[in-house]
Amino acid sequence: MPKLSTNQWLAVVALLLGALAVVGEPYAGTRTSLDARELAMIVEGRADHVTAPELADWIMQGQTDYRLIDIREDTAYARYHIPGAENVPIHELTEYPLFRNERIVLYSGGGIHAAQAWFLLKAMGFPGVYTVLGGFDAWIDEVLYPAAPSATTPESMAEFERAEAVAAFFGGSPRGAGEEGELQELALPSVDLTSPVIVAPRKKRRKEGC
Amino acid sequence: MIAPFFKYGLFGDEASLILAFLVGIGFGFFLERAGFGSARKLTAQFYLTDLTVFKVMFTAIITALLGIFYLSWIGWVDLSLVYVPNTYLAPQILGGLLLGFGFIVGGYCPGTSVVGTATGRFDGFIFLLGLMAGIFAFGEAYPLLEGFVNSTDLGPITLPEALHVSYGLVVFAVVAMAVVGFWGAGIVERKFAAKSVNDRIPNAEA
Amino acid sequence: MAATVATEAMKAGAAARHEAGTGPAPYMNPYLAGVGLGLVLLATFVLMGRGLGASGAFTSVVAVGVEAAAPEHARANEFYVGYLENGFGHPFKSFLVFEVLGLMVGGFLSGALAGRNRRTVEKGPRISTRGRLGLAFLGGGLMGVGSKLARGCTSGQALSGGAVLSVGSWAFMLMVFAGAYALAYFVRRQWL
Repeated sequence: MPKLSTNQWLAVVALLLGALAVVGEPYAGTRTSLDARELAMIVEGRADHVTAPELADWIMQGQTDYRLIDIREDTAYARYHIPGAENVPIHELTEYPLFRNERIVLYSGGGIHAAQAWFLLKAMGFPGVYTVLGGFDAWIDEVLYPAAPSATTPESMAEFERAEAVAAFFGGSPRGAGEEGELQELALPSVDLTSPVIVAPRKKRRKEGC
Repeated sequence: MIAPFFKYGLFGDEASLILAFLVGIGFGFFLERAGFGSARKLTAQFYLTDLTVFKVMFTAIITALLGIFYLSWIGWVDLSLVYVPNTYLAPQILGGLLLGFGFIVGGYCPGTSVVGTATGRFDGFIFLLGLMAGIFAFGEAYPLLEGFVNSTDLGPITLPEALHVSYGLVVFAVVAMAVVGFWGAGIVERKFAAKSVNDRIPNAEA
Repeated sequence: MAATVATEAMKAGAAARHEAGTGPAPYMNPYLAGVGLGLVLLATFVLMGRGLGASGAFTSVVAVGVEAAAPEHARANEFYVGYLENGFGHPFKSFLVFEVLGLMVGGFLSGALAGRNRRTVEKGPRISTRGRLGLAFLGGGLMGVGSKLARGCTSGQALSGGAVLSVGSWAFMLMVFAGAYALAYFVRRQWL
């Protein structure tokens, strides 16, 4: 071993590492493997779903531990979106700033595109991705304009009362039996401005800069 | 699961704050070890009598650079999750110039002024007050400056992307330039040592 | 408990130097210190996916101060709001704030161990203390504006951004050195 000073050793090591780097492939870690079997089990166990009423509860309780992503077109988003949703079309999803330690809830019109986006995010290594079961349509039908129950048991009446209250919170109203829930053109449910959660859009990405 | 661990939810926000504190201790420790609690040692860089600032900064950069590169190569770090700041070229150039002015006039930079204050330098403390005054002035003027501050946004662009060469090649180039620079720094220091401005505490023998 | 650790450290350092008959200990080999710093930076990247910083912590302080003095004004200003609403709850619950607290502790500890802690004002022989303090404040002010324009300072942009090869960070770094060298001659009376 040649007799080198500390500084000279450091220089040699640095130059060797630097030279070796020329053939290096630093993006090796960005490719994650898709475990097909694991994904199949998740889908089958319905662990990746959130129902529209559940989501409504989260919003009403002011929960902020999730990101709600609306992957529809911006015109549809502008017309009405679930409160707190961020509009990210699928092609922007890969670049959009999302953290892998966040729960991501996706919804589309009916649910098919959301399911596809679900696979995309799973492939990118996001552990906590969910879709809204039934998508935006389910929000209209089950949250905004819930149908009156056909039966009149105490349980279903209590449930319906709850659904009414939820609908009122979001500016909707129940519909009679047999009616189709339709997003009213004129009476667009306005976002409830008294709830602090809904007012402050949870788009605040944590600062990572200096 | 691979690093960066925080981005996989391995630990939460509260733990990250504790980590920040610990990291800060290490940071402050080595800054002082290098002598950066002393404004005179810091500014000696710009009178060419003591180029410790250059040596420490670039050694730190190439250490972290090589570390990230190799850890990513062996797949332990997901490079796409490592934060690269957005490049806003014009404000960064102007900001850098002002920072350079502030450095030689004030004698510190924000991090080192904290170390200076912690080791008893009253001028470090006054520098911090000035720093916050400057930030306040910026904040008040922000509505006017906003356009400029957000201009020339090139996104999180890296040197390999901008120069259209491989990442590894840039790593090599940076390391090589740094080592050559260190060699040159020794020569320059010996030439200008007589007019030394620093606080006369020597560096440990190499 | 922290105070006892600190005083013990100072006493140990002083005792060692009393033995050796020397004053404050020499600084660490700059390359070794740089490696140490680089490893701390690397650890931050590996654990958090982000680098270090400093100026952001002080911006949080300023933002909180402005909000306390004039809440509507602060809330109307996008710049302050960015630091008040950091997604964490309180603006002081930020990575950088806690990091800066650690900076103080680490710096103090190292200085204590080496016997380099002392109440002083760093300046050259040809300027008064008052003059030096005035320039320190002015320099800080310049740096305050500069670091916000550049979205970082030497710790955040130069070290951390430099290590991930960000174009803007390298441009910034060059300009910092350029600016300091350019002005060095004109303020030489402060240091030389």
